[in-house]
Amino acid sequence: MKAKKMILLATTLSAALVFSACQATDVVGKIAVTSFEQVLNTASDNVTFDEEKNSWSLESPAGDEFKWSKDFSATEVDGILEFDAAPFINAGLDVTKLPEGYVYDQASDRLSLNFEIGQEKFDYNGDATALDTFKNIVEKKREIVGYHEALDHYGMAVGNGNMFEWAKDMSTNDKDIVFVVNPQPFIDAGVDPEKVEGWAFAKVEVKDKDGKMVEVDKFLKPFDLK
Amino acid sequence: MKTENLKVFGMTCAACAKAAERAVGKLDGVEKVNVNFATEKMNVAFDASKLSMEEIKAAVAKAGYEAKEEIETKEVAIPVAGMTCAACAKAVERAVGKLGGVESVAVNFATEKAVIKYNPKDVRLSEIKQAIIKAGYTPLEIENKNRVDEDKERKEKEIKTLWLKFVVSAIFSIPLLYIAMGPMVPWLGWKLPAWLEPMNFPLLYALVELVLVIPVMIAGNKFFTVGFKAIARRSPNMDSLIAMGTSAAFLYSLYSIYRINIGDFMYVDDLYFETAGVIITLILLGKYLEAVSKGRTSEAIKKLMGLAPKTAIVIQDDKEIEIPIEEVEVGDIILVKPGAKIPVDGEVVEGHTTIDESMLTGESIPVDKKVGDKVIGASINKHGSIKFKATKVGSDTALAQIIKLVEDAQGSKAPIAQMADIVSAYFVPTVFVIATLSALAWYLSGESTVFSLTIFIAVLVIACPCALGLATPTAIMVGTGKGAEYGVLIKGGEALETTHKIRTIVFDKTGTITEGRPEVTDIVTTGIIERDKLLQIAASAEKGSEHPLGEAIVRGAEKENLEMLKLGKFLAIPGHGIQVEIDGQLILLGNRKLMVERNIELTQLENDSDRLASEGKTPMYMAIGNQLAGIIAVADVVKESSAKAIKRLHEMGIEVAMITGDNKRTAEAIAKQVGIDRVLAEVLPQDKANEVKKLQGEGKKVAMVGDGINDAPALAQADIGIAIGSGTDVAMESADIVLMRSDLMDVPTAIQLSKSTIRNIKQNLFWAFAYNVAGIPLAAGLFYAFGGPKLNPIFAAAAMSLSSVSVLTNALRLKGFKPYK
Repeated sequence: MKAKKMILLATTLSAALVFSACQATDVVGKIAVTSFEQVLNTASDNVTFDEEKNSWSLESPAGDEFKWSKDFSATEVDGILEFDAAPFINAGLDVTKLPEGYVYDQASDRLSLNFEIGQEKFDYNGDATALDTFKNIVEKKREIVGYHEALDHYGMAVGNGNMFEWAKDMSTNDKDIVFVVNPQPFIDAGVDPEKVEGWAFAKVEVKDKDGKMVEVDKFLKPFDLK
Repeated sequence: MKTENLKVFGMTCAACAKAAERAVGKLDGVEKVNVNFATEKMNVAFDASKLSMEEIKAAVAKAGYEAKEEIETKEVAIPVAGMTCAACAKAVERAVGKLGGVESVAVNFATEKAVIKYNPKDVRLSEIKQAIIKAGYTPLEIENKNRVDEDKERKEKEIKTLWLKFVVSAIFSIPLLYIAMGPMVPWLGWKLPAWLEPMNFPLLYALVELVLVIPVMIAGNKFFTVGFKAIARRSPNMDSLIAMGTSAAFLYSLYSIYRINIGDFMYVDDLYFETAGVIITLILLGKYLEAVSKGRTSEAIKKLMGLAPKTAIVIQDDKEIEIPIEEVEVGDIILVKPGAKIPVDGEVVEGHTTIDESMLTGESIPVDKKVGDKVIGASINKHGSIKFKATKVGSDTALAQIIKLVEDAQGSKAPIAQMADIVSAYFVPTVFVIATLSALAWYLSGESTVFSLTIFIAVLVIACPCALGLATPTAIMVGTGKGAEYGVLIKGGEALETTHKIRTIVFDKTGTITEGRPEVTDIVTTGIIERDKLLQIAASAEKGSEHPLGEAIVRGAEKENLEMLKLGKFLAIPGHGIQVEIDGQLILLGNRKLMVERNIELTQLENDSDRLASEGKTPMYMAIGNQLAGIIAVADVVKESSAKAIKRLHEMGIEVAMITGDNKRTAEAIAKQVGIDRVLAEVLPQDKANEVKKLQGEGKKVAMVGDGINDAPALAQADIGIAIGSGTDVAMESADIVLMRSDLMDVPTAIQLSKSTIRNIKQNLFWAFAYNVAGIPLAAGLFYAFGGPKLNPIFAAAAMSLSSVSVLTNALRLKGFKPYK
């Protein structure tokens, strides 16, 4: 009898969990939103909307940009990392060897890494803000937003190992935002990773496709927004 | 002083037994109290004028346990005919319920059965049946359910419950372990679904772990209820350690959930639900295996209990009626057919047969039984049909006595157990202190709270006194049980322990080394008569004699199938012999004194007479018509096994002495025959104990082996008294060990068994201590401080469970004990 009660209680609790789970328990998602809001508020002067690309843009003090689509279903390119090409070219980059989606704009001497993230349709009540878009991303494409334990950062994976990260708590972190770039396509295109000025070439712990923690090389460019 | 046995419920480890013992020991009027954790029994000697059983039970209850008197309650299901409605059932219930000694009665009208629980000491089954008849109904043949079944049911239920709890825990702990270990040990490659990624969904991850651990905590709820209650009573036990360890892990994990919930995701690494869950699961598994093994340690007693047949065929009015064994009364004539078991003890009144008594005496050769011989309940009738008169029934039978003896022995404590008890009593509080100090030390040395917590949990969990508490009683249970199988009944743990220290054994001569029944050994004639004729005349003359020597001559003639001659005048000459007339001739049969007084010339057989006397034999002269006809020598022959047993004892390094009232010459002759080292001759019965004392004065542990009433004081004086089963009740009462057979080879067997058991106990204690001695410093991080390993609490739980199981397994190895042949 007792055993039956035990199983019943366990089943009830499991069921309760299933019903109450996901959204309500997604503290990482919730705090990702509040911390991103903090970043947006701090860098409010550098947050703009790019009509052409139908995306929001957050610009670093050095002019690097992270752009995220206002509606994944309406854009082909949903996530963009844009930065000065000179350090890479000086380090040996042959722009003709860059893969698809990696665009060099000779006029502005900038590199733009363009990625399609998904086809999710974002909903808004009234006028959309950059934060509203991010909330939609957390809600509808939760898997691209994660927590980076080592730096106490949140991150949004845009594709091919490239990310935009921001501090969970800016008050305790000197790296408020970080551009994280996969160095491999650049290395393949002739870049000597140690010679890229302004970017740190470092090992970063990430999870592989099997969920195992592995160390990978990244170009990192952090900024203190305060 | 009154001694009572109580069954104690609710104990989970040796510390509980000690707590119950302390609680009762404190009561005014208690002289001695002994609680055996393995048998769950309390033996208490107290002054009944100062203290009642209720007060003792109350003291046990105050200590947190439940004590019940060992009432041999029986339950019977009596089919009742004649009931036509529910009111009839009620009437039967009323009629039976009124009887004193009836604990409960439930009559089911649908099944037409009355299930009655009663105390056979207060009410007889026949009285219950009579009450049913008086109420107007007919009791039919009984379906019996005895104490063995009840005990078995209880144990089986306990094992089943533990298994179920373990299965439930395992079902939830395995996924819990998978979820927890997957992210912790990447090389395992255990995948988790994306929605359960601890770094992405830490709260959900933690909640899933919480949900999985709750059923495990419920399955192990007894550890918490018992453990915390024990802490509240300031007598913490093994459950307290488990409760504290797992609660600490659980509560800290709850705190981690709270921290995760407020955004401190790093606390996802500080979840210890799997530690709590797996510890409980492993301990439940250990408890289950322990219950199974404990059941096996008492198999001997169950085997003994199972020996008795359920029914007996009683002859009533020349009719054979099969009745339940409980209904057999003293004086009943019982029929036993070939192949059937003898139901109760009795005396053969008709027929002859051979009976296999091996299950009781260990004697493998079936024993011939004829009219007048005694039969023992539970032995097996081999060939002929016999009728016997029941002389002892119920708890008076030899089997019931043996069972009681073995049960008492199994419930007793050996002095070696006291050390384990003392250690157990201080063990748990000490472990608490060690756990707290180690955790504190690590914390102060700069380690994290989590590290200190794992140290605290690991120390609490690994330091289980359970193995310590089981080490001695389980070995004693198996050892005494094994002894009973071979017909060696050891009365207690103390006897079992002392026996292996014996350095000198004193054997009583008559009936112990010898058969105790003189036999004709030699016949020498002068030539005026033939040998057989001499024996025939002597036996005819002694026919009807009650003198042991005369009886020996009659038996001698009977063995040779010699017919008895008709006697003429008969005259007994006290202290000398007899004088009879056979076929007109005067026959004198007696000692040398008689012959000398009657001027019979003895010179011719003088040498033979001296030789026989020097061999320890008693020469009896016979003269026919004032002329010496011959000598019949009578002697108490040594048992077949005596010399072999003494040789074996010598091989064991034991000095063997013989004590007898016989003259030195006779005694030395016997001693020489069997290889005795030291002869204590011409000792008066009342001085036997003094002789034993003298030997003890030489600093030796002395055992005395005897069979007679006159041996009782010496048996009591000796460090170990060993009574031969064929001997008197008084001897058996005074002895520490009773040999069911008269085979002296059982003496070395008893010593060998004692040695094996004590060795087993020492091994058990070693393992129990070794686990703790090695485990506690390891768990406390002592080795880690010097660059060595640290113990994960989960492995601590596994090791702790293993310690109990290994101790029990080692104790069970004793089941393979085989006596020296």
